[in-house]
Amino acid sequence: MTTTQGTATPTTQKLGIATAIALIFLVLSGLIFSAEDVVQGSTVRMMYVHVPSIWVAYLAFGFTALCSAVYVSNRSRSLIWDRFAGASAEIGVLFVAISLVTGSLWGRLTWGTFWVWDARLTSTAFLFITYIGYLAVRRLGGTFSQRARRSAIMALLAVLEIPLVHFSVNLWRTLHQKASIADPNAKVQLDGFMLFTLFWGLISFSMLFAWLLIHRQRLMALEDAVQDQGLDRAIQERRTEAGR
Amino acid sequence: MDLTPRPVTDAESRAQIQRRRWVPMIIVALALVAGGVVVSQFLTSAIDYYCNVDEVGVRDGCVGQRRIRVQGIVVENSLKQSNGVTEFSLVFHDKTLRVRYQGDPGGVFQECIPVVAHGRVVSGVFDSDRIEVKHTNQYVEKNKTRFDEATKETAACSQLPG
Repeated sequence: MTTTQGTATPTTQKLGIATAIALIFLVLSGLIFSAEDVVQGSTVRMMYVHVPSIWVAYLAFGFTALCSAVYVSNRSRSLIWDRFAGASAEIGVLFVAISLVTGSLWGRLTWGTFWVWDARLTSTAFLFITYIGYLAVRRLGGTFSQRARRSAIMALLAVLEIPLVHFSVNLWRTLHQKASIADPNAKVQLDGFMLFTLFWGLISFSMLFAWLLIHRQRLMALEDAVQDQGLDRAIQERRTEAGR
Repeated sequence: MDLTPRPVTDAESRAQIQRRRWVPMIIVALALVAGGVVVSQFLTSAIDYYCNVDEVGVRDGCVGQRRIRVQGIVVENSLKQSNGVTEFSLVFHDKTLRVRYQGDPGGVFQECIPVVAHGRVVSGVFDSDRIEVKHTNQYVEKNKTRFDEATKETAACSQLPG
């Protein structure tokens, strides 16, 4: 009889429940409790998904780079760091995609166009493509350590795009507005509950990232184990044949 | 013990292995092409100079009848819409520019909002074929003023002799 073992532990289950509650409150806060904007009306509610999505993407790609750096610098070359890097990049790609889609819809409603080739939008699209490439590079084949080394180098180079994306609104004249809360002058330009909802979005999306990351990393470990088992079985078969 | 990889005889398994090998390579190639397209689109769109209203006719690249992008704020009470044509004035650093646009700009276009107009200056008027509405990084609650007024009135009421 075989037993199915999931990737959850009591701690991740608690984290999952807390994340679900936080997201439900975010939905209520974003759609009901927070007020409309004086210019944009209800369209401003897009911000509570758009900004936390790109925040999680930055966080995820930053974490990918950190894990890659640890893998490269650590003598033990533990593959857990490579798996964390890969899992984090997958989540980052998902959230950049969410950010691009919500940004495009928000742009149509406020700017009057889905897309413009301005510096912020272009650099974000480039970031998305780079990490799609990173994920493809991870699947190019070879041993686990070859995969880890190859992707670690790419992750350390790709992370340099993040400051370019974030500061693109200051470096170039863009249609995209400048930062509201990450302003260099630290002047908060969001009214009352809007600011709270945005911060709540950042917290709940970060919790979602942590939950997804842990599960995806564990799933990757299981995938690697399955691959290892296949190799072990093949060697065992050869040994049996040789022994005949 | 012979550890030489054996040729895969099963056709389906062989196809699966081929697919597993080629798909990531194709994705990497597509990502490289897509990256090139994105950069070239950005550079192509950057060919049109991005000028503020006060730079039109003054700054290098913003002079003559060449195609440019002009940024400014829609002047209050300057907006007129008739026969499918939208006309308004843009202001930036005390300089104004009259803009003519065929159609409805869309988005949250209105007076006192920053916009970017694409087009060229013809006889002193900016003939635009594309308007993009900028929104500032300030978010103000819609009923904030009403709430403030109500709070003031409540405070005034509390001072009335009971």
